[in-house]
Amino acid sequence: MVQVLIRAGVSGPVRRSNPEPGRGSNGGKSLKLALKLVAVVVVALIVGAGSALLFVRGSGLGGTISVGPWQTSLVIGSAEADPYTRARVAVAGLLALNRSETIYFTAAHDDAGDALRSGCVYKVAGTDPPARWWSMTLYGADHYLVANSENRYSYGGATVAREADESFIITVGPQETEGNWIPAGSQTDDTFSLTLRLYNPEPAAVSNPSGIALPHIVKEACPS
Amino acid sequence: MKTWPMWVAGTIALAAAFHILTVFGLPYGIMDRAMAGIVAEAGDVNKPVYPESATAASRGIVRPSPDLLYTACAYDVSERPVKLTSPVPDTYWSLSTFASNTDNFFVVNDRQVKTDRIEIILAASENAATEEGIPVIVTPSSKGIVLFRSLVPSEDLRAEIDAKRRQSNCKPL
Repeated sequence: MVQVLIRAGVSGPVRRSNPEPGRGSNGGKSLKLALKLVAVVVVALIVGAGSALLFVRGSGLGGTISVGPWQTSLVIGSAEADPYTRARVAVAGLLALNRSETIYFTAAHDDAGDALRSGCVYKVAGTDPPARWWSMTLYGADHYLVANSENRYSYGGATVAREADESFIITVGPQETEGNWIPAGSQTDDTFSLTLRLYNPEPAAVSNPSGIALPHIVKEACPS
Repeated sequence: MKTWPMWVAGTIALAAAFHILTVFGLPYGIMDRAMAGIVAEAGDVNKPVYPESATAASRGIVRPSPDLLYTACAYDVSERPVKLTSPVPDTYWSLSTFASNTDNFFVVNDRQVKTDRIEIILAASENAATEEGIPVIVTPSSKGIVLFRSLVPSEDLRAEIDAKRRQSNCKPL
């Protein structure tokens, strides 16, 4: 299509006015230049905006602080947040509170580093994190709650059933199990993530989130 | 003279500019959309909405907590300050305010409020005319979002906590 247009530009009366025969008319050159500029803008837009979206959307809330499979950032919700953190919060955690009020840990992988998948069964085992109140919630890859027949999306410090030693085990998977169970949805190929919220965390947790003991996430099986 | 290196360099520079613009612009765009959603539901800015607990059908805000009852309003202090009022329940509760770039510039929770009711004024500047005796929070942007969070620790308490949070309000002075 481009070649056809350029040829059209160098034919007929226009060609006679060209001071350099055989190299295209002014109109042809202008058209060629315009097409090149459009191509540059389109490619730059796709690469520039696309890479930004991939970078921001692909990592959840992200963060540089890791505790096992859980990640957080000290600057979520804060004016000190860098532009990438702010963009990630906007995409995956809009209206998140700053860390003195709430620490958000997110896990998209299990302890072995494998992505969390709806078709697999996981045991999430731990003890109460150092906070006034905590909850663990499951989100789909689109960052929204996952539909299930139980309408159950989370457990919190006040609702989780505990073991004799006050620790807890939560099963995450597609099939109902005894005890604490968070349904992971029915789409076996889907990925999901877990967010652990620590409301009013203890001062030591605020100053050193990487030192908090958080639940382990262990894959038990992938039946489907 | 070959011009393709210049074209490649120009494309890379322009791509970098689009990348930076996208990263910086996303928070504002997403907040704008969230504010528009709240305004559409409330009927106006500086008016509260009282959505039910989040479910899988909720699509207003990403990663909502199903354990909380949220009350929200989109504030606009460009013309006059906005007064926030709410009863403070005997459970986890917080009032938080967010600038147009998503920054959480103020938060207070039930343990920090010494009475069973809170009154706060949002204003564009310290010099704005407000009501005497009520704390004033200066907003870093003229528009943003106010969010009240109320924890529902058990279903037995849901009705009581829901009734209280429906008394939370945002109103221009």
